[in-house]
Amino acid sequence: MVGPYEGVTVVDTTGLTGAYATRLFAGLGAEVIHLEPPQGSALRRLTPFVESVDPPENSLWWNYLAMGTRSVVIEPEDTESLERLISQADVVFEDQLPEHSGIPPEIIGSSTIRTRILPFGLTGPKRGWKSSNLVAWAGSGILYTTGFVDRPPVAPAAPVQLACHAAGASALVGTLLALRSRRLSGVVQNVEISMQEAALTIAPETGVPMLLDDRVHRERTGNRRDLGRPFGLYPCSDGFVSIIVLMPRHWVAMAQWVAEVTGNESITEPVFEENAVRIEAKDLIDEWVEELTRQGTRLELFQEGQRRGIPITPVNTVDALVDDPHLEAADYWSSTELHDGQTVTVPGAPFRTNAQWWSTSRAPFLGEHTELYVS
Amino acid sequence: MTASEKQLPLSGIKVFELGIAIASPFCGKLMAHFGADVIKIESRTSPDVVRLLGSAWLKDREDLAPIASDTSPYVSEMNASKRSVGLELKTEQGKAAAMQILAECDVFLANFGARALADLGFDYASVKAVNPDIVYVQLPGFGSDPNMPYYPFVAWGPNQAPLVGMDDFTGHSDDPPAGIATVAPPDYMSALHAAIATLTGLEQRDLTGEGVHVDISQFETTLALLGPFVMDYDLTGTIPSRMGNRSMWGAPQGVYPCFGIENWIAISATDDEDWDALRGLAGNAIDDVFDDATRRIEQQDLLDEQIASWTIKYQVDDLVDRLQTLGVAAHAVSSNEDLLHDTHVMSRGWYQVAASKRLGRDVFSNCLVRLDQTPGRWTHAGPSMGQHTREVLQSYAGLSDAQIDELIDVEAAFESIAPDMVTTRPWDDWIHIFIPGVDDARDL
Repeated sequence: MVGPYEGVTVVDTTGLTGAYATRLFAGLGAEVIHLEPPQGSALRRLTPFVESVDPPENSLWWNYLAMGTRSVVIEPEDTESLERLISQADVVFEDQLPEHSGIPPEIIGSSTIRTRILPFGLTGPKRGWKSSNLVAWAGSGILYTTGFVDRPPVAPAAPVQLACHAAGASALVGTLLALRSRRLSGVVQNVEISMQEAALTIAPETGVPMLLDDRVHRERTGNRRDLGRPFGLYPCSDGFVSIIVLMPRHWVAMAQWVAEVTGNESITEPVFEENAVRIEAKDLIDEWVEELTRQGTRLELFQEGQRRGIPITPVNTVDALVDDPHLEAADYWSSTELHDGQTVTVPGAPFRTNAQWWSTSRAPFLGEHTELYVS
Repeated sequence: MTASEKQLPLSGIKVFELGIAIASPFCGKLMAHFGADVIKIESRTSPDVVRLLGSAWLKDREDLAPIASDTSPYVSEMNASKRSVGLELKTEQGKAAAMQILAECDVFLANFGARALADLGFDYASVKAVNPDIVYVQLPGFGSDPNMPYYPFVAWGPNQAPLVGMDDFTGHSDDPPAGIATVAPPDYMSALHAAIATLTGLEQRDLTGEGVHVDISQFETTLALLGPFVMDYDLTGTIPSRMGNRSMWGAPQGVYPCFGIENWIAISATDDEDWDALRGLAGNAIDDVFDDATRRIEQQDLLDEQIASWTIKYQVDDLVDRLQTLGVAAHAVSSNEDLLHDTHVMSRGWYQVAASKRLGRDVFSNCLVRLDQTPGRWTHAGPSMGQHTREVLQSYAGLSDAQIDELIDVEAAFESIAPDMVTTRPWDDWIHIFIPGVDDARDL
């Protein structure tokens, strides 16, 4: 591996909550070792599976999130090997409370940073509670407000596991801060992430400061939001587009567009330039905007609306993304190799730099690197 | 600093921020918490949207209208511990002063659109010309390469979520997409990536002496979260979509009604151990055919119906306690009012209160990253617009009072509007009831 964190050794004992962090860390040059039990990491049991590959190498979650990392298997009773591996680590990622950790404090080196990603954090009445992506969202206030008012609440983009990845990404932020402290002032310390707080962070809209401000009990509002108008998903001829109008210049362009296409002159009345007025008259505004959107496809509306400087986007699905002309022109997509040698498309580097930072490789096979570290 | 105060990880780091709304401001707030001096450059002619939102309770207070821009809760939520400097970058003098500040900084952070940033003359090449080893991190919606198709497109808040497929993934499978009406994950995920990139850039600069240009296209960054779905589509043509709250990896998982109105419980009991515990509690309320894990997945509609008929008999907190006691992941689906009374959230100091020049004090969310030896700190709540213009122009740009006055006269710079106009939020008198460790306002 090359990259700014070359020479940093990381042991990852987590599953879904830490894997995005260590994937990024590996991409930035760290030597990341997944410490796996003999039956393999929990990630290896997550569907979808590759039909042509046998377990434990067939999970697409493993094959994506473990890219660029190594796999070491240690038998549960082999404390000597565990000690040898852990003693080399600059950072250990864990998802267990200290009292449940499989890594006893006495084998942790004096300069090793422990990064813990926990359901509800190290302290507080719920410290021992279990969590999941769904449960983290439940404790954020946002789950309650997502979905249609006559249907049960739903987690945001549930299959994507956003609460886990937000926890992971912030765990990496904390780890890099701790490494910087260690390098500059010799302080060795631990990082703590609460999944609930990761979800709360993404959800200030239902947080206490907003409630104190407006004292509004927030209900589910379907796929629109009363922060502005138009604001949310609007039906078009082949699905939906998303329109977010808050800024005055965006409204002026939006009103002009509606007027030109539908002949509606009322929408350009100056009174509607006030966001608060549009929210007050939201049903009317939505009706007028829909008269426009129903006439076009996602792509037509996206391109024409953007040409006019309006923040409008298509409600995309994975197939549309893989075919997206911008991503193709930007040469975004990358690939990885599966156990049977076939290659498959994966997202490319999460950001671009003018320096050579990002490099990766296929996910390791179970125990592929065991001998390198514990023999 | 006393001997007992360990140096914060970003102590001494100066950040020049051109931020709007969330993505860049949230990253800047995190850095300020851990010791960086974050200079938020603000404009009156095209203000940050959080300055336009204002405050609900202020609506009918015409006497306080001049300070409305300092009162949105999002001002502190996204900008606590930063310094605000009022400079109009579209004026020659304002831009020159900004460049003088920038020359002294370590990090440049911006989420203006790439074209807007270039038009202002703050693209990487221009910034590098005044500060060759700058760590330059920008978060445009669609990247900074002008040759790419969506380069001029507008990325605004939650419209990135539908673009990258998140809205289609949200909702029950038989319903239209529920969208992510109240949350914009791409902003926050991009902000976290920006923090990672900034720290990596500082690492590189310390080791090699060289700065870096990081281009965080929010479109590309957020798509990096969809890896397994992209792979599955490439291999099998499967187009994944929304599936309510269900898990791809086991059943049951869902949101179920509890006793009362709009009381819901979220339960994840996706493995056999969880199931045994849940079943032990529910007893005959659930058909024993579901002891077979395959049946639980194949007949989820029926399973969810039976679970819902069982959960609805319970008070939500009681059932959550019973399930968590048995090791099953569960939580009440908290409303914003529930969070106000959440003893766990409050015991962890999730909501912080810090001094505000305009409002006396203000409340905002803590930092999700916790370090045990160098915990961050909040020096103050969100600044008022232009609160630190003079001191920053003096110390960073080396300008005299007379030079600063001239900048203000020609409207190239501005200071806090009506600096003596102060108020308190209506909740100020009783915030101590909810947030532990806060003084009763009547004692102040």
